[in-house]
Formats: sequence, structure tokens, C-alpha cells
Amino acid sequence: MTTATSPLESMAATLSAGEPLSEPWVERGGVFWFDCPGINVREVAHAMNAVGARFITMTAYQMPGNEGLRLEYHWDLEGRLLGFNFPLAGNSIESIYDLCEAVDWIEREIHEGFDIEFTGREYEPLLLREGNVCGVNLREEVAK
Amino acid sequence: MSYKIPMGPYHPALEEPYKLDLICEGETVTDAKLHIGFNFRGIEHLAETRNYIQVIALMERVCGICSNIHTLTLCSAMEKLTGLTPPPRAQYIRVIVAELERLHSHVLWAGIAAKLMGFKTMFMTCFEIREKVMDVLQAISGNRVNYSMNRIGGVNRDIEDPQSIVAMIDALEREMVKTIIPIFTTSTTARSRCAGIGVLTHAKAVSCGVVGPVARASGVGQDLRKEAPYAAYGEMEFEVPVQPDGDVRARLLVRALEIMESCKILRQALTKLPPGELASGGDGSKFNFTTGTATARVEAPRGEVMYSVSWKEGSRNPSRVHVRTPTFVNMPSVRYMVQGARLADTPLIQASIDPCYSCTDR
Repeated sequence: MTTATSPLESMAATLSAGEPLSEPWVERGGVFWFDCPGINVREVAHAMNAVGARFITMTAYQMPGNEGLRLEYHWDLEGRLLGFNFPLAGNSIESIYDLCEAVDWIEREIHEGFDIEFTGREYEPLLLREGNVCGVNLREEVAK
Repeated sequence: MSYKIPMGPYHPALEEPYKLDLICEGETVTDAKLHIGFNFRGIEHLAETRNYIQVIALMERVCGICSNIHTLTLCSAMEKLTGLTPPPRAQYIRVIVAELERLHSHVLWAGIAAKLMGFKTMFMTCFEIREKVMDVLQAISGNRVNYSMNRIGGVNRDIEDPQSIVAMIDALEREMVKTIIPIFTTSTTARSRCAGIGVLTHAKAVSCGVVGPVARASGVGQDLRKEAPYAAYGEMEFEVPVQPDGDVRARLLVRALEIMESCKILRQALTKLPPGELASGGDGSKFNFTTGTATARVEAPRGEVMYSVSWKEGSRNPSRVHVRTPTFVNMPSVRYMVQGARLADTPLIQASIDPCYSCTDR
């Protein structure tokens, strides 16, 4: 019997049990998306570690007009591709590097490409060289 | 006293731009710092300026070795957005070309590894074998590097004489069993250069999220062809070679055994190649995309490739294409492989992940 309370605890219980994914999971475009607004990225990382999922990547999106930026996180669990969507209020989000070593390079790449700040970690340059400016992948009208 | 040795940005063995700052105590490496970005071409950004035909040609150029895998992954994602399913014959042809690409990639790597060990003769043997695979790819596609085989909804070209490929596979397998595998596994030089060198522990492999032969050589038995089959892989019987030691020798063995498994897959696919159309979706000049993001993953020679493709209905261009290549996740683990290694072993250790710098930088 499941005694989980929060959506993430419930998610971890479902994944651990290997049960078929149902609401709030939605399969779309080859990914099982966890459609639950307001979740915290570090809690997701904890939950993914708990079920033994493998981090794959993050994808940054610059939304049209002034809608800002959005991040998608992907993990693999026994061949199932799990996705989590995080619209950014500003240009920052908490880093999960201390919880998941595999995010190191992609957090650095997104920081350099989209000028997104991953709080709680330090960066070293990855793709950029001395004197280059973060935000090379941002569209012209909003690039620094 | 520790000192720093900069290696690169031109790799001593692979002639590609990438830099490793090695921190040494005497001849022993204590730590390393990796620098990439020398090959950054802004391909993801360029993709947003290309239409659905042009973007396939563009993404084929992400990598010069596994070019086919990039178009396969991209087209698979675009098929989810157009609602098209490739016909069975196209699915089989996709498997055949993907496995031929794996063969030439692995044999190329074996040759380079042999050269780094001082086995010049083996280098020539591997490249001779690879040439035969390249001949087959050229016979099928008319090209040696960018095959242009994939399109949205199927493939562009047929395989008209499957039996001619079976003969090449027989020859390759004979050479692997007779020469390459015995020398790599039993020769004293190969053992001394590879066994116990550049170890990536199972725990570190999991923590770094490494993929492909690098993961399988550290005891992580993941392979998308088995775990999340695509194209016609669900109908193929094959094993996923896994080695527990995590050293250069284990990575070499995994790739050698994968060559044998690729031969097995190729034989099945060529024998069972179903008749029928090469593609769905009309003449391939006009497609209707739905708004949204689709994701596709395939098992490239170096490991999992993932594409996320976003489209807006009515647009001819994608609004976003993100590529996660296998070397991008495998390369950070080099830092752990070289810790404690002899300086002279570091070129071989770096090469043992079969890195692709143009993939990594995009």
C-alpha cells in the first residue's frame, strides 16, 4: 500500500514499483512528462537518485517574445525516458551538481549558451574562452 | 613537487582539437582538467535557420564518423511530430546502415588503439578491414562519409543486393576471430599497455552517467537497442557485451565483441529484409508538423545519442534542436581514468573512450 503524500514521493513510489505510469505522467513526443507544476528541481534530483534513474541531459529553450527561458531535464529509468519541465522565473535555477555529477558539463554549457545561472555551484569555462560573453545561443534581440 | 603538462589542443593521437591540463607528480598523473570548445560551430543555432529538408543535411555533419546516426535520430524525432511511421523495409535498412556504421567506427578505433600501442601492422590490418566496410557503405549510398540515407518517414535508398553484404560480413568476422581479437587479448604488449590502465570504476561510471562501450566496459549493461528498441532492433537477436574491469582492455574487448554482435545483427537484417516501400509521407518534399517537442534516442557506436526537436505548426524550420552526444557525457570521466596513471599512458587512456570532439562541441 502506498503511503506517499507529496507528488514526488508518490512518483518515486510508482517508479520503484515498476508500475505503469499514469496521471500526472503524460506521454508526449517519446517522453513520459511529469506534469505537476511547482515541483522543485532538487527534489526531483533526489527522487531520481532514489529510484536509480540515469541522468541524460537538460535542454534550454528561449521562449518567444518576453516569455523568458525554460529548462527540460531528462532521466532514463530502464529504457523509459522521463521528463521534467521548469519554466524559469528569472534567469536562474538551483544547481543539482552536488546531487548528480553527470549534470556538470551541461549546466556549464547552458550557462554559457543561454546565460542561465545555476545557483549554488561554481563554474569553470567549458566552451567559451577568456573574454567571450555568456549567451551565445540567445536570439539577437535579447542577447547581451 | 607537482607540475602541469598541457596536452593539446591537438591530441597527440587523434589529431582533433581538445586540451587536457595534466597535473603530475613525477611521471604520475594526479589530476586533470579538460577544455573543449575548439570545434564549436553553433550547429544547434544554425538548425533553427534551416528548413525540414536542409536540417537533415546539416545535422549529418555533426560527426564525421557516425553521421548516419545523427540523421536517424533527428528523423525519428521529426517523425513523431509529423505522425509518420517508416515502412518495415525502411526500418530494416536503418538497422543495416547503423550496424555498418558501428562496424567501421569500431574497426577504426581498434586501428588507432593499435597504433597507440605501437602495433603499426595491426593498424594497417584494421584499416584494410574498415575499407571493405566503407566500400559497402559507398555501394549502398554512393558516399563514404555522409550517406544521406535517412529522410522523414523512411530512407532515401534501397539495398538492392543484400547477399553481397553478407560476403563482406563473413570476411570481416573471419579476420576478427583469426587475427584481431587473439592479438588484442593474448599479446603481451597489448596486455601490458591496456590491462589495469585507465580504470573507471562501476560506481564512477554510474555517477558520471557514461554511455555506450565506456559504460559497458565498467559493468553497466545499458544499450538502447535492447532497453528501448527503435527501427527494427526489436526483431533482432543479439547479446550486449559487458566487461567488469573498467580498464582500457575492457573497453577494447567490449568493442571487439560488439563487432561480432553487429555481424550477427547484419546477417539477420539482410536475410529477413522485408519487401515494400522505402518511405511513407509522399515524395518527401512537403511535411506538416504539429506544434510541440519530440525526443528520440539511438545507440550510436559511442553510446546513446539524444535529440530534442521543437516545432511550431506551419513553420518550415525547427524552433529548437538540441543534441546530446555520447562523447559529451563520456569525456568528463577521462579525469578519473587518468588519475594515478603514468603520463605515457594518457594518450591511450583518452583515446580509449573513442572520443569525437566535433560531436562534443557541435
